[in-house]
Amino acid sequence: MRVKAVNYGVAFLAILFLNFLLPRLMPGDPLMAIYGEEALLQMTPQLKAHLLERFGLDKPIWKQFLIYLSSLMRGDLGYSYYRNAPVSKVILSHLPWTLLLVGTALILSAILGVIAGIESGWRRGRSLDRALLVGMMSTSGFPSFFVGVLLLLFFGVILGVLPLQGAKTAYSDLSGLSLALDILRHLALPLATLVVLFTSANYLLTRNTMVMTLGEPFILTAKAKGLTEARVRYVHAGRNSLLPVLTSTGVQFGTRIVAGALFVEVVFSYPGMGGLIYNSILMRDYPVLQGCALMVTALVLTANFIVDLLYVKLDPRVRGDG
Amino acid sequence: MGEVLSELSKDSFGRIGLGVFSLFLLLALVSPLITGDPMLHSTSVLNPPSSEHMLGTNDVGQDIWSRLIRGVRTSILVAVGVGILTTLIGAIVGVSAGLIGGIYDEVLMRIVDALLAIPAIVVLILIASFLRPTLWTLILLISILHWQGGARIMRAQTLSLKERAYISAARAFGAGGGYLILKHVMPGLGPILISSFIYSARMAVFMEAGLAFIGIADPTTVSWGAMMHHALKFYYLPVWKWWLLPPGAALSLLILSFTFLGYSLERIIEPRLRNA
Repeated sequence: MRVKAVNYGVAFLAILFLNFLLPRLMPGDPLMAIYGEEALLQMTPQLKAHLLERFGLDKPIWKQFLIYLSSLMRGDLGYSYYRNAPVSKVILSHLPWTLLLVGTALILSAILGVIAGIESGWRRGRSLDRALLVGMMSTSGFPSFFVGVLLLLFFGVILGVLPLQGAKTAYSDLSGLSLALDILRHLALPLATLVVLFTSANYLLTRNTMVMTLGEPFILTAKAKGLTEARVRYVHAGRNSLLPVLTSTGVQFGTRIVAGALFVEVVFSYPGMGGLIYNSILMRDYPVLQGCALMVTALVLTANFIVDLLYVKLDPRVRGDG
Repeated sequence: MGEVLSELSKDSFGRIGLGVFSLFLLLALVSPLITGDPMLHSTSVLNPPSSEHMLGTNDVGQDIWSRLIRGVRTSILVAVGVGILTTLIGAIVGVSAGLIGGIYDEVLMRIVDALLAIPAIVVLILIASFLRPTLWTLILLISILHWQGGARIMRAQTLSLKERAYISAARAFGAGGGYLILKHVMPGLGPILISSFIYSARMAVFMEAGLAFIGIADPTTVSWGAMMHHALKFYYLPVWKWWLLPPGAALSLLILSFTFLGYSLERIIEPRLRNA
């Protein structure tokens, strides 16, 4: 566990360094790299002088790094001139939407994927297994943003039954139940996209583990004891198939889950972290972009750490080492 | 290599994967012969499909068919480039760490573990949005961020190969390090090298398209992701039928071929999954 924590620490430091170094490595005025050309043109000389002073851009690089670290410690992620607000405030207003979207998607897809995987692995080679395997493998190959685009076109444009973008209807005074319903309607398409994508990954892993586990002697013993089929399937074989799903959820947090959420939010203009990152790229709002990178990394590393802790609880074999 | 290919073509997933991938390779080679200039602007914008423009034109009057077919080259280039680079770095790091061991192994694996913990996509977006890389720089960038998984697996395989009797025998007969690696370790790594290549290629195609989709693309290359990025702005017009769907479908098909190949290979490497 300690080794893992050190890895996560090193990873986080690497992102810190990158955040600090990138704008300073760019050719030309570092203020321009930090704030972009347009913001710089609009700045008054006083403001420029103030910013130079604040970042210590005229001081040696190690001093600049100390200044950078100490402002981070105070929770100061910088200031977005494009949005005219502190970066930390901008991020905190977008974060809840992503947590809602990704959290719900992870729970739903874990349930669906594991059940489908167990049933499919149990019926290995039969028609249901074949159909599920081909179907899930095809969807797992689809890029997340294309699945999102397809759902958007079908339900939003062709059928016109679900809203196309945003997280709630703008400028409406909904409250209570009608607000909740409005949020759910807006959540439906991005959530469905993520569930489709995550489910197929969980399914493929569960099925593979099921197939391998079913060949183990203890399954034969369980069957020989006369246990019901459902009990062998879910309690004996199924439980073992949970571990890889958990591990991969942890390992894939960094790429699959973050990437999936990011692209899907972009497709549906969902106002979470993905939507924020997208807008910051288009507007060259580098302070927000850097703040997002730091925040997402911190979240991913925390999620990984929680998964590691859970894993030890679920699998007594790994206790003690690692 | 030949063994793996013949093994792949025995399995239906492997056959489909190989077939589709070969088709894309062929398209990438002959694309200039069957398309016009994908960059050429014209005044006929947002045209529906016609005899002149098979898939109509986009918002600046470029021929969508030409862009779709030229896009194959970009994706294949990224797939092959990143596939080769990551597999090469992974093999060098993994095999050398496995064979040499000691502090060298310890230090390298520390780096690998830290890299594995970093959400690569975030780093990629961060760097790419500052640097605005060309296609070649992007290939390099994706590769630098994605060799660690392969290195771990290849180290594990090297360690297991090292203990096998035929390697000890070769060593007992006085085989040198280089000879051992070329003659005995590399062939044992074969399927894993190919699987690492396919995994990286698939990830790279997705990454390039994804970055272009969120607006980070080299404007001088034709990219399916960038096509979708622009087409999505016009979703309320019927243009999505010939502008948004074709690049998305092509991208999915290419990624799918890698998925099928990877799945088929997994069963070659892990015999317990065979006949499933």
